[in-house]
Amino acid sequence: MAPKFAIRANGLTKRYGQAVAVNKLDLTIQPGQFYGLLGPNGAGKSTTIHMLTTMTSPTSGEAFIADKSVAEQPVAIRGSVGLVFQDSALDRMMTVDENLQFAAALYNLKPAQANERIDELLSIFGLQKKRHMKLVALSGGQRRAVDIARGVLHKPKVLFLDEPTIGLDLPNRRAIWRFVEQLRKEEGMTVFLTTHYLEEAVACDRVDFIQKGELQYGGAPNALIRDLAAFILEIDCADTEAVNKALSPEFGQPIWEDEHLTYRVKDKNVDFTQLQHSLGDAVISLQWRKPNLNDVYLWTVCPPETGVVT
Amino acid sequence: MKNWLAVKAVAGRELSKVFRQRGRLISSMVRPLIWLLVIGSGVGSMLQGSQQEGYLGFLVPGIVAMTLLFAALLSALTLVYDKEFGVMRMMMIAPIEHYWIVIAKLIAATITAMVQALMLLVILVLIGLIQWDIALLLLIPAFATAVCCAAIGGLIAAWSKTLDNFAVIMNFFIFPLFFLSGALYPVSQLPELLKYVVLINPFSYGVDLMKHAVPAAESDFSIVTDIAVLASFSVLAIVIACWRFSRESVHEPLFHRVTGKKS
Repeated sequence: MAPKFAIRANGLTKRYGQAVAVNKLDLTIQPGQFYGLLGPNGAGKSTTIHMLTTMTSPTSGEAFIADKSVAEQPVAIRGSVGLVFQDSALDRMMTVDENLQFAAALYNLKPAQANERIDELLSIFGLQKKRHMKLVALSGGQRRAVDIARGVLHKPKVLFLDEPTIGLDLPNRRAIWRFVEQLRKEEGMTVFLTTHYLEEAVACDRVDFIQKGELQYGGAPNALIRDLAAFILEIDCADTEAVNKALSPEFGQPIWEDEHLTYRVKDKNVDFTQLQHSLGDAVISLQWRKPNLNDVYLWTVCPPETGVVT
Repeated sequence: MKNWLAVKAVAGRELSKVFRQRGRLISSMVRPLIWLLVIGSGVGSMLQGSQQEGYLGFLVPGIVAMTLLFAALLSALTLVYDKEFGVMRMMMIAPIEHYWIVIAKLIAATITAMVQALMLLVILVLIGLIQWDIALLLLIPAFATAVCCAAIGGLIAAWSKTLDNFAVIMNFFIFPLFFLSGALYPVSQLPELLKYVVLINPFSYGVDLMKHAVPAAESDFSIVTDIAVLASFSVLAIVIACWRFSRESVHEPLFHRVTGKKS
Protein backbone atom coordinates (compact mmCIF):
# COMPACT_ATOMS: atom_id res chain seq x y z
CA MET A 1 0.00 0.00 0.00
CA ALA A 2 1.35 3.41 -0.92
CA PRO A 3 1.98 5.65 2.08
CA LYS A 4 -0.65 8.27 2.69
CA PHE A 5 1.81 11.07 2.96
CA ALA A 6 5.11 12.07 1.36
CA ILE A 7 6.40 14.15 4.26
CA ARG A 8 5.23 14.25 7.83
CA ALA A 9 6.63 16.08 10.84
CA ASN A 10 5.43 16.02 14.45
CA GLY A 11 6.65 18.68 16.82
CA LEU A 12 9.89 19.09 14.90
CA THR A 13 12.18 21.44 16.85
CA LYS A 14 15.74 22.63 16.41
CA ARG A 15 17.62 24.73 18.93
CA TYR A 16 21.10 26.18 18.62
CA GLY A 17 21.98 26.88 22.22
CA GLN A 18 19.36 29.35 23.42
CA ALA A 19 18.14 30.24 19.95
CA VAL A 20 15.16 28.34 18.61
CA ALA A 21 15.51 27.94 14.84
CA VAL A 22 12.39 25.82 14.35
CA ASN A 23 9.71 25.39 17.00
CA LYS A 24 7.29 22.44 17.19
CA LEU A 25 6.63 22.17 13.50
CA ASP A 26 3.77 19.91 12.40
CA LEU A 27 3.45 19.09 8.72
CA THR A 28 1.64 16.61 6.51
CA ILE A 29 2.31 16.77 2.80
CA GLN A 30 0.53 14.47 0.34
CA PRO A 31 2.42 12.56 -2.35
CA GLY A 32 2.74 14.56 -5.57
CA GLN A 33 1.98 17.85 -3.85
CA PHE A 34 3.80 21.06 -4.66
CA TYR A 35 4.34 22.58 -1.25
CA GLY A 36 5.80 25.97 -0.41
CA LEU A 37 7.25 27.04 2.92
CA LEU A 38 7.40 30.81 2.84
CA GLY A 39 8.91 33.39 5.09
CA PRO A 40 11.65 35.97 5.55
CA ASN A 41 15.36 35.18 5.76
CA GLY A 42 16.20 33.38 8.94
CA ALA A 43 12.64 32.22 9.61
CA GLY A 44 13.75 28.59 9.86
CA LYS A 45 13.03 27.43 6.30
CA SER A 46 16.47 25.99 5.59
CA THR A 47 16.74 24.39 9.01
CA THR A 48 13.41 22.66 8.38
CA ILE A 49 14.68 21.32 5.06
CA HIS A 50 17.95 20.19 6.63
CA MET A 51 16.09 18.28 9.32
CA LEU A 52 13.80 16.61 6.79
CA THR A 53 16.79 15.52 4.68
CA THR A 54 18.96 14.20 7.57
CA MET A 55 21.54 16.97 7.20
CA THR A 56 20.74 18.25 10.69
CA SER A 57 19.15 16.22 13.44
CA PRO A 58 16.21 17.76 15.30
CA THR A 59 16.54 18.67 18.96
CA SER A 60 13.13 17.10 19.50
CA GLY A 61 10.18 15.85 17.49
CA GLU A 62 10.12 13.39 14.64
CA ALA A 63 9.87 13.41 10.86
CA PHE A 64 9.07 10.88 8.16
CA ILE A 65 9.57 10.74 4.42
CA ALA A 66 6.96 8.32 3.08
CA ASP A 67 7.06 5.62 5.75
CA LYS A 68 10.71 6.00 6.74
CA SER A 69 11.85 7.76 9.88
CA VAL A 70 14.44 10.49 9.32
CA ALA A 71 16.18 9.67 12.58
CA GLU A 72 16.26 5.90 12.14
CA GLN A 73 16.94 5.41 8.44
CA PRO A 74 19.04 8.37 7.33
CA VAL A 75 20.75 6.54 4.46
CA ALA A 76 17.47 5.26 3.02
CA ILE A 77 15.99 8.76 3.38
CA ARG A 78 18.90 10.29 1.49
CA GLY A 79 18.28 7.75 -1.28
CA SER A 80 14.66 8.82 -1.69
CA VAL A 81 14.99 12.60 -1.44
CA GLY A 82 16.74 15.12 -3.65
CA LEU A 83 18.02 18.36 -2.16
CA VAL A 84 19.02 21.46 -4.05
CA PHE A 85 20.95 23.59 -1.60
CA GLN A 86 20.57 27.32 -1.32
CA ASP A 87 24.08 27.86 -2.67
CA SER A 88 25.61 25.57 -5.19
CA ALA A 89 27.14 22.29 -4.08
CA LEU A 90 28.87 21.73 -7.41
CA ASP A 91 32.61 21.73 -8.04
CA ARG A 92 33.28 24.82 -10.12
CA MET A 93 36.55 23.47 -11.43
CA MET A 94 34.95 20.40 -12.97
CA THR A 95 32.77 20.24 -16.09
CA VAL A 96 29.00 19.86 -16.02
CA ASP A 97 29.42 16.24 -17.08
CA GLU A 98 32.07 15.46 -14.46
CA ASN A 99 29.95 16.99 -11.73
CA LEU A 100 26.87 15.04 -12.74
CA GLN A 101 28.77 11.78 -13.26
CA PHE A 102 30.28 12.24 -9.81
CA ALA A 103 26.89 12.85 -8.23
CA ALA A 104 25.39 9.90 -10.14
CA ALA A 105 28.10 7.57 -8.80
CA LEU A 106 27.32 8.80 -5.28
CA TYR A 107 23.76 7.61 -5.94
CA ASN A 108 25.09 4.26 -7.11
CA LEU A 109 24.02 4.80 -10.73
CA LYS A 110 26.09 2.77 -13.18
CA PRO A 111 27.88 4.86 -15.84
CA ALA A 112 25.51 3.81 -18.65
CA GLN A 113 22.44 4.60 -16.54
CA ALA A 114 24.01 7.88 -15.46
CA ASN A 115 24.76 8.88 -19.03
CA GLU A 116 21.23 8.31 -20.14
CA ARG A 117 19.80 10.25 -17.20
CA ILE A 118 22.22 13.15 -17.65
CA ASP A 119 21.27 13.33 -21.35
CA GLU A 120 17.62 13.43 -20.44
CA LEU A 121 17.99 16.13 -17.78
CA LEU A 122 20.33 18.36 -19.78
CA SER A 123 17.86 18.30 -22.64
CA ILE A 124 15.04 19.37 -20.31
CA PHE A 125 17.22 22.26 -19.17
CA GLY A 126 18.53 23.00 -22.68
CA LEU A 127 22.11 22.55 -21.58
CA GLN A 128 23.29 19.73 -23.89
CA LYS A 129 25.86 22.01 -25.51
CA LYS A 130 27.36 22.96 -22.15
CA ARG A 131 27.90 19.38 -21.07
CA HIS A 132 31.66 19.43 -21.37
CA MET A 133 32.20 22.99 -20.20
CA LYS A 134 33.62 23.81 -16.82
CA LEU A 135 31.08 25.13 -14.37
CA VAL A 136 32.86 28.48 -14.03
CA ALA A 137 32.01 29.15 -17.69
CA LEU A 138 28.25 28.90 -17.06
CA SER A 139 25.87 31.70 -16.10
CA GLY A 140 24.27 31.78 -12.66
CA GLY A 141 20.98 30.48 -14.03
CA GLN A 142 22.65 27.64 -15.91
CA ARG A 143 24.61 26.63 -12.83
CA ARG A 144 21.43 26.55 -10.79
CA ALA A 145 19.82 24.38 -13.46
CA VAL A 146 22.76 21.95 -13.23
CA ASP A 147 22.34 21.98 -9.45
CA ILE A 148 18.68 21.01 -9.86
CA ALA A 149 19.64 18.31 -12.38
CA ARG A 150 22.08 16.99 -9.77
CA GLY A 151 19.29 16.91 -7.21
CA VAL A 152 16.99 14.78 -9.38
CA LEU A 153 19.53 12.40 -11.01
CA HIS A 154 18.30 9.49 -8.92
CA LYS A 155 14.60 10.25 -9.50
CA PRO A 156 13.83 11.07 -5.88
CA LYS A 157 10.31 10.71 -4.54
CA VAL A 158 10.58 14.08 -2.82
CA LEU A 159 12.54 17.03 -4.15
CA PHE A 160 13.57 19.78 -1.72
CA LEU A 161 14.34 23.13 -3.29
CA ASP A 162 15.87 25.62 -0.88
CA GLU A 163 15.42 29.09 -2.38
CA PRO A 164 16.07 27.84 -5.92
CA THR A 165 15.79 31.26 -7.53
CA ILE A 166 17.74 33.35 -5.04
CA GLY A 167 20.19 35.70 -6.71
CA LEU A 168 18.88 35.05 -10.22
CA ASP A 169 17.45 37.61 -12.62
CA LEU A 170 13.83 37.45 -13.76
CA PRO A 171 14.25 35.47 -17.03
CA ASN A 172 16.39 32.89 -15.24
CA ARG A 173 13.92 32.67 -12.39
CA ARG A 174 11.12 31.99 -14.82
CA ALA A 175 13.23 29.39 -16.59
CA ILE A 176 13.93 27.60 -13.29
CA TRP A 177 10.19 27.51 -12.53
CA ARG A 178 9.50 26.07 -15.98
CA PHE A 179 12.04 23.29 -15.29
CA VAL A 180 10.51 22.51 -11.92
CA GLU A 181 7.05 22.40 -13.48
CA GLN A 182 8.26 20.05 -16.20
CA LEU A 183 10.01 17.77 -13.71
CA ARG A 184 6.86 17.61 -11.64
CA LYS A 185 4.78 16.77 -14.69
CA GLU A 186 7.14 14.14 -16.06
CA GLU A 187 8.27 12.46 -12.87
CA GLY A 188 5.35 13.15 -10.54
CA MET A 189 7.60 13.97 -7.63
CA THR A 190 6.54 15.74 -4.47
CA VAL A 191 8.22 19.15 -4.35
CA PHE A 192 8.99 20.99 -1.12
CA LEU A 193 9.97 24.54 -1.86
CA THR A 194 11.19 27.42 0.26
CA THR A 195 11.35 30.95 -1.01
CA HIS A 196 11.06 34.47 0.19
CA TYR A 197 9.94 35.66 -3.24
CA LEU A 198 6.35 35.02 -2.22
CA GLU A 199 4.78 35.73 -5.60
CA GLU A 200 6.70 32.73 -6.99
CA ALA A 201 4.78 30.35 -4.77
CA VAL A 202 1.40 30.90 -6.47
CA ALA A 203 1.88 27.66 -8.43
CA CYS A 204 2.07 25.66 -5.18
CA ASP A 205 -0.81 23.42 -4.14
CA ARG A 206 -0.36 24.59 -0.59
CA VAL A 207 1.79 27.17 1.16
CA ASP A 208 2.54 27.81 4.81
CA PHE A 209 4.06 30.94 6.23
CA ILE A 210 6.82 30.50 8.76
CA GLN A 211 8.04 33.20 11.06
CA LYS A 212 10.67 32.95 13.79
CA GLY A 213 10.61 29.16 13.52
CA GLU A 214 6.85 28.79 13.87
CA LEU A 215 4.23 27.98 11.29
CA GLN A 216 1.77 30.85 11.08
CA TYR A 217 -0.91 30.44 8.53
CA GLY A 218 -1.40 28.48 5.37
CA GLY A 219 -3.59 27.05 2.68
CA ALA A 220 -4.00 26.95 -1.07
CA PRO A 221 -2.55 30.20 -2.47
CA ASN A 222 -5.64 31.12 -4.46
CA ALA A 223 -7.94 30.51 -1.52
CA LEU A 224 -5.67 32.54 0.77
CA ILE A 225 -5.72 35.41 -1.69
CA ARG A 226 -9.46 35.14 -2.25
CA ASP A 227 -10.15 35.09 1.49
CA LEU A 228 -7.92 38.08 2.11
CA ALA A 229 -9.81 40.60 -0.04
CA ALA A 230 -11.30 41.35 -3.44
CA PHE A 231 -8.99 44.31 -3.93
CA ILE A 232 -6.09 46.01 -2.26
CA LEU A 233 -6.41 49.77 -2.10
CA GLU A 234 -3.25 51.85 -1.68
CA ILE A 235 -3.38 55.55 -0.96
CA ASP A 236 -0.63 58.14 -0.64
CA CYS A 237 -1.75 61.27 1.17
CA ALA A 238 -0.46 64.09 3.35
CA ASP A 239 -3.17 64.02 5.99
CA THR A 240 -3.38 60.31 6.72
CA GLU A 241 -5.48 60.83 9.85
CA ALA A 242 -8.28 62.53 7.96
CA VAL A 243 -8.27 60.08 5.08
CA ASN A 244 -8.27 57.13 7.43
CA LYS A 245 -11.15 58.59 9.36
CA ALA A 246 -13.17 58.72 6.17
CA LEU A 247 -12.25 55.24 4.96
CA SER A 248 -11.86 52.99 7.98
CA PRO A 249 -15.61 52.69 8.72
CA GLU A 250 -16.00 51.07 5.31
CA PHE A 251 -12.71 49.18 4.84
CA GLY A 252 -11.44 48.57 8.37
CA GLN A 253 -8.01 49.42 9.71
CA PRO A 254 -5.23 49.92 7.17
CA ILE A 255 -1.55 49.00 7.15
CA TRP A 256 -0.10 52.37 7.98
CA GLU A 257 3.39 53.29 6.75
CA ASP A 258 4.19 57.00 7.05
CA GLU A 259 2.04 58.64 4.37
CA HIS A 260 1.01 55.41 2.76
CA LEU A 261 -2.22 53.62 3.68
CA THR A 262 -3.10 50.13 2.49
CA TYR A 263 -6.65 48.82 2.85
CA ARG A 264 -8.14 45.50 1.98
CA VAL A 265 -11.43 45.81 0.19
CA LYS A 266 -13.71 42.81 0.64
CA ASP A 267 -16.61 44.09 -1.42
CA LYS A 268 -16.18 43.21 -5.10
CA ASN A 269 -18.52 46.00 -6.20
CA VAL A 270 -16.84 49.01 -4.67
CA ASP A 271 -16.88 51.99 -7.01
CA PHE A 272 -13.31 53.26 -6.87
CA THR A 273 -14.00 56.12 -9.27
CA GLN A 274 -16.57 57.49 -6.92
CA LEU A 275 -14.23 56.99 -4.01
CA GLN A 276 -11.61 58.99 -5.83
CA HIS A 277 -14.08 61.83 -6.33
CA SER A 278 -15.17 61.88 -2.73
CA LEU A 279 -11.59 62.05 -1.42
CA GLY A 280 -10.72 64.74 -3.95
CA ASP A 281 -7.57 66.72 -3.27
CA ALA A 282 -6.84 64.94 -0.02
CA VAL A 283 -4.95 62.15 -1.78
CA ILE A 284 -1.73 62.30 -3.78
CA SER A 285 -2.26 58.94 -5.41
CA LEU A 286 -4.83 56.19 -5.21
CA GLN A 287 -4.63 52.78 -6.77
CA TRP A 288 -6.44 49.50 -6.49
CA ARG A 289 -5.32 46.08 -7.60
CA LYS A 290 -5.87 42.38 -7.08
CA PRO A 291 -4.25 41.01 -3.93
CA ASN A 292 -1.33 38.55 -4.10
CA LEU A 293 0.60 36.33 -1.67
CA ASN A 294 2.70 39.27 -0.50
CA ASP A 295 -0.49 40.90 0.74
CA VAL A 296 -1.55 37.68 2.47
CA TYR A 297 1.80 37.66 4.21
CA LEU A 298 1.62 41.33 5.21
CA TRP A 299 -1.92 41.12 6.54
CA THR A 300 -1.83 37.80 8.29
CA VAL A 301 1.69 37.01 9.34
CA CYS A 302 3.62 40.22 9.75
CA PRO A 303 4.12 41.06 13.41
CA PRO A 304 2.47 44.30 14.63
CA GLU A 305 5.75 46.19 15.14
CA THR A 306 6.32 46.35 11.37
CA GLY A 307 3.37 48.66 11.03
CA VAL A 308 0.23 46.57 10.88
CA VAL A 309 -2.52 48.26 12.81
CA THR A 310 -5.32 45.92 13.67
CA MET B 1 29.68 -3.80 -1.86
CA LYS B 2 26.87 -1.38 -2.41
CA ASN B 3 28.93 1.72 -1.68
CA TRP B 4 31.75 0.77 -4.03
CA LEU B 5 30.70 3.17 -6.81
CA ALA B 6 30.46 6.08 -4.39
CA VAL B 7 33.82 5.35 -2.77
CA LYS B 8 35.42 5.00 -6.19
CA ALA B 9 33.89 8.29 -7.30
CA VAL B 10 35.11 10.25 -4.26
CA ALA B 11 38.61 8.77 -4.47
CA GLY B 12 38.65 9.05 -8.25
CA ARG B 13 37.72 12.72 -8.18
CA GLU B 14 40.63 13.37 -5.83
CA LEU B 15 43.13 11.45 -7.93
CA SER B 16 42.03 13.03 -11.20
CA LYS B 17 42.63 16.43 -9.57
CA VAL B 18 46.11 15.41 -8.48
CA PHE B 19 47.10 14.11 -11.90
CA ARG B 20 45.57 17.05 -13.69
CA GLN B 21 47.87 19.43 -11.84
CA ARG B 22 51.09 17.99 -13.26
CA GLY B 23 53.01 21.08 -12.30
CA ARG B 24 52.14 20.53 -8.66
CA LEU B 25 53.05 16.88 -8.89
CA ILE B 26 56.47 17.70 -10.30
CA SER B 27 57.05 20.51 -7.84
CA SER B 28 56.29 18.09 -5.02
CA MET B 29 59.57 16.44 -5.98
CA VAL B 30 61.48 19.66 -5.42
CA ARG B 31 61.04 19.76 -1.64
CA PRO B 32 62.56 16.35 -0.85
CA LEU B 33 65.38 16.87 -3.33
CA ILE B 34 66.28 20.21 -1.80
CA TRP B 35 66.30 18.60 1.63
CA LEU B 36 68.39 15.76 0.42
CA LEU B 37 70.93 17.79 -1.48
CA VAL B 38 71.09 20.92 0.66
CA ILE B 39 70.62 19.53 4.17
CA GLY B 40 72.23 16.23 3.25
CA SER B 41 75.40 17.79 1.93
CA GLY B 42 75.28 20.71 4.38
CA VAL B 43 74.96 18.68 7.54
CA GLY B 44 77.01 15.91 5.97
CA SER B 45 79.96 18.25 5.48
CA MET B 46 80.17 18.71 9.25
CA LEU B 47 80.69 15.00 9.63
CA GLN B 48 83.96 13.24 9.09
CA GLY B 49 85.06 11.48 5.86
CA SER B 50 83.32 8.12 5.78
CA GLN B 51 80.30 9.37 7.77
CA GLN B 52 79.72 12.05 5.15
CA GLU B 53 78.85 9.52 2.46
CA GLY B 54 76.76 7.61 4.98
CA TYR B 55 74.57 10.56 6.02
CA LEU B 56 73.16 10.99 2.54
CA GLY B 57 72.18 7.32 2.56
CA PHE B 58 70.80 7.67 6.09
CA LEU B 59 68.55 10.51 4.90
CA VAL B 60 66.89 8.52 2.09
CA PRO B 61 64.19 6.82 4.25
CA GLY B 62 63.47 10.10 6.05
CA ILE B 63 63.13 12.02 2.81
CA VAL B 64 60.81 9.43 1.29
CA ALA B 65 58.78 9.49 4.51
CA MET B 66 58.63 13.28 4.34
CA THR B 67 57.19 13.08 0.82
CA LEU B 68 54.60 10.60 2.04
CA LEU B 69 53.73 12.77 5.03
CA PHE B 70 53.19 15.95 3.04
CA ALA B 71 51.33 14.25 0.21
CA ALA B 72 49.02 12.17 2.40
CA LEU B 73 48.27 14.95 4.88
CA LEU B 74 47.52 17.56 2.24
CA SER B 75 45.36 15.10 0.35
CA ALA B 76 43.41 14.12 3.48
CA LEU B 77 42.84 17.81 4.18
CA THR B 78 40.69 18.04 1.04
CA LEU B 79 38.01 16.82 3.46
CA VAL B 80 38.15 20.33 4.89
CA TYR B 81 38.71 21.99 1.54
CA ASP B 82 35.57 20.40 0.09
CA LYS B 83 33.62 21.57 3.10
CA GLU B 84 34.84 25.12 2.57
CA PHE B 85 33.75 25.13 -1.08
CA GLY B 86 30.41 23.45 -0.52
CA VAL B 87 31.14 20.34 -2.57
CA MET B 88 31.08 18.29 0.63
CA ARG B 89 27.30 18.77 0.72
CA MET B 90 27.01 16.84 -2.53
CA MET B 91 28.63 13.91 -0.73
CA MET B 92 26.74 14.42 2.53
CA ILE B 93 23.32 14.21 0.84
CA ALA B 94 24.28 10.98 -0.95
CA PRO B 95 22.74 7.74 0.34
CA ILE B 96 25.92 6.46 2.01
CA GLU B 97 27.02 6.51 5.63
CA HIS B 98 29.19 9.57 6.07
CA TYR B 99 32.25 7.62 7.20
CA TRP B 100 32.59 6.24 3.66
CA ILE B 101 33.55 9.76 2.58
CA VAL B 102 36.46 9.66 5.04
CA ILE B 103 37.51 6.20 3.91
CA ALA B 104 37.40 7.18 0.24
CA LYS B 105 39.43 10.31 0.89
CA LEU B 106 42.02 8.36 2.85
CA ILE B 107 42.32 5.79 0.06
CA ALA B 108 42.96 8.68 -2.34
CA ALA B 109 45.48 10.18 0.10
CA THR B 110 47.36 6.89 0.33
CA ILE B 111 47.48 6.46 -3.44
CA THR B 112 48.59 10.06 -3.97
CA ALA B 113 51.36 9.63 -1.42
CA MET B 114 52.51 6.37 -2.98
CA VAL B 115 52.63 7.89 -6.46
CA GLN B 116 54.82 10.73 -5.19
CA ALA B 117 57.05 8.31 -3.29
CA LEU B 118 57.41 6.21 -6.40
CA MET B 119 58.41 9.24 -8.45
CA LEU B 120 60.97 10.23 -5.84
CA LEU B 121 62.41 6.73 -5.68
CA VAL B 122 62.83 6.67 -9.45
CA ILE B 123 64.74 9.96 -9.22
CA LEU B 124 66.90 8.61 -6.39
CA VAL B 125 67.74 5.53 -8.45
CA LEU B 126 68.52 7.68 -11.46
CA ILE B 127 70.92 9.94 -9.55
CA GLY B 128 72.58 6.81 -8.22
CA LEU B 129 71.83 7.34 -4.53
CA ILE B 130 70.12 3.98 -4.08
CA GLN B 131 69.96 0.68 -5.95
CA TRP B 132 66.75 -0.22 -7.77
CA ASP B 133 66.22 -3.34 -5.63
CA ILE B 134 66.32 -1.22 -2.46
CA ALA B 135 63.93 1.23 -4.07
CA LEU B 136 61.49 -1.62 -4.77
CA LEU B 137 61.87 -2.98 -1.26
CA LEU B 138 61.18 0.51 0.15
CA LEU B 139 57.73 0.49 -1.45
CA ILE B 140 56.46 -1.94 1.19
CA PRO B 141 57.29 0.13 4.31
CA ALA B 142 56.35 3.22 2.29
CA PHE B 143 52.83 1.86 1.91
CA ALA B 144 52.46 1.26 5.65
CA THR B 145 53.76 4.79 6.28
CA ALA B 146 51.41 6.26 3.68
CA VAL B 147 48.40 4.69 5.37
CA CYS B 148 49.60 6.01 8.73
CA CYS B 149 50.08 9.53 7.34
CA ALA B 150 46.65 9.46 5.68
CA ALA B 151 45.16 8.39 9.01
CA ILE B 152 46.87 11.31 10.77
CA GLY B 153 45.50 13.59 8.05
CA GLY B 154 42.02 12.14 8.55
CA LEU B 155 42.21 12.84 12.28
CA ILE B 156 43.27 16.45 11.73
CA ALA B 157 40.64 16.99 9.03
CA ALA B 158 37.87 15.57 11.20
CA TRP B 159 38.68 18.19 13.84
CA SER B 160 39.14 21.25 11.63
CA LYS B 161 36.00 23.14 10.83
CA THR B 162 37.52 25.51 8.31
CA LEU B 163 40.67 25.95 6.28
CA ASP B 164 41.63 28.94 8.43
CA ASN B 165 43.67 26.70 10.66
CA PHE B 166 45.76 25.48 7.77
CA ALA B 167 48.86 27.38 8.89
CA VAL B 168 48.29 26.00 12.36
CA ILE B 169 48.22 22.51 10.92
CA MET B 170 51.51 23.09 9.10
CA ASN B 171 53.26 24.47 12.16
CA PHE B 172 51.79 22.22 14.81
CA PHE B 173 51.51 18.94 12.96
CA ILE B 174 53.56 18.51 9.81
CA PHE B 175 56.83 20.05 11.04
CA PRO B 176 56.87 18.50 14.53
CA LEU B 177 55.84 15.12 13.12
CA PHE B 178 58.72 15.29 10.69
CA PHE B 179 61.47 16.79 12.88
CA LEU B 180 60.65 14.61 15.88
CA SER B 181 60.69 11.34 14.03
CA GLY B 182 64.26 10.25 13.55
CA ALA B 183 64.04 11.16 9.87
CA LEU B 184 67.05 13.45 10.13
CA TYR B 185 69.05 11.83 12.94
CA PRO B 186 69.24 8.53 14.81
CA VAL B 187 66.80 8.46 17.73
CA SER B 188 69.41 6.94 20.06
CA GLN B 189 71.48 10.13 19.99
CA LEU B 190 68.63 12.44 21.02
CA PRO B 191 68.36 13.96 24.51
CA GLU B 192 66.11 11.97 26.87
CA LEU B 193 63.03 14.25 26.69
CA LEU B 194 62.98 14.45 22.90
CA LYS B 195 63.43 10.71 22.73
CA TYR B 196 60.07 10.26 24.46
CA VAL B 197 58.43 12.63 22.02
CA VAL B 198 59.80 10.56 19.16
CA LEU B 199 58.50 7.41 20.80
CA ILE B 200 54.91 8.67 20.90
CA ASN B 201 55.07 9.97 17.32
CA PRO B 202 53.54 7.27 15.09
CA PHE B 203 55.35 8.69 12.07
CA SER B 204 58.68 7.70 13.71
CA TYR B 205 57.81 4.05 13.25
CA GLY B 206 57.14 4.55 9.54
CA VAL B 207 60.52 6.20 9.13
CA ASP B 208 62.10 3.41 11.12
CA LEU B 209 60.43 0.69 9.09
CA MET B 210 61.88 2.26 5.97
CA LYS B 211 65.29 2.42 7.55
CA HIS B 212 65.13 -1.37 7.79
CA ALA B 213 65.02 -1.49 3.99
CA VAL B 214 68.09 0.74 3.55
CA PRO B 215 71.44 -0.75 4.57
CA ALA B 216 73.04 2.69 5.02
CA ALA B 217 70.48 3.67 7.69
CA GLU B 218 70.53 2.20 11.16
CA SER B 219 67.10 1.53 12.62
CA ASP B 220 66.01 2.15 16.22
CA PHE B 221 63.13 -0.31 16.68
CA SER B 222 62.40 -3.85 15.53
CA ILE B 223 60.35 -4.51 12.40
CA VAL B 224 57.63 -6.12 14.50
CA THR B 225 57.38 -3.07 16.76
CA ASP B 226 57.20 -0.77 13.73
CA ILE B 227 54.47 -2.77 12.03
CA ALA B 228 52.48 -3.26 15.22
CA VAL B 229 52.54 0.44 16.08
CA LEU B 230 51.75 1.57 12.51
CA ALA B 231 48.90 -0.88 12.08
CA SER B 232 47.25 -0.27 15.44
CA PHE B 233 47.65 3.50 15.23
CA SER B 234 46.26 3.62 11.67
CA VAL B 235 43.23 1.50 12.50
CA LEU B 236 42.49 3.49 15.65
CA ALA B 237 42.99 6.85 13.95
CA ILE B 238 40.77 5.93 11.01
CA VAL B 239 38.02 4.68 13.31
CA ILE B 240 38.16 7.87 15.38
CA ALA B 241 38.21 10.07 12.26
CA CYS B 242 35.19 8.20 10.85
CA TRP B 243 33.32 8.49 14.13
CA ARG B 244 34.09 12.15 14.48
CA PHE B 245 33.15 12.89 10.88
CA SER B 246 29.79 11.19 11.33
CA ARG B 247 28.89 13.57 14.12
CA GLU B 248 26.95 16.45 12.73
CA SER B 249 28.38 19.15 14.98
CA VAL B 250 31.47 18.96 12.77
CA HIS B 251 29.41 20.04 9.81
CA GLU B 252 27.36 22.73 11.46
CA PRO B 253 29.20 25.56 9.69
CA LEU B 254 28.21 23.87 6.44
CA PHE B 255 24.49 23.99 7.14
CA HIS B 256 24.14 26.59 9.84
CA ARG B 257 25.91 29.25 7.81
CA VAL B 258 22.79 31.02 6.56
CA THR B 259 20.96 30.93 9.86
CA GLY B 260 24.11 32.12 11.58
CA LYS B 261 24.29 35.21 9.39
CA LYS B 262 20.88 36.59 10.16
CA SER B 263 21.20 37.07 13.86
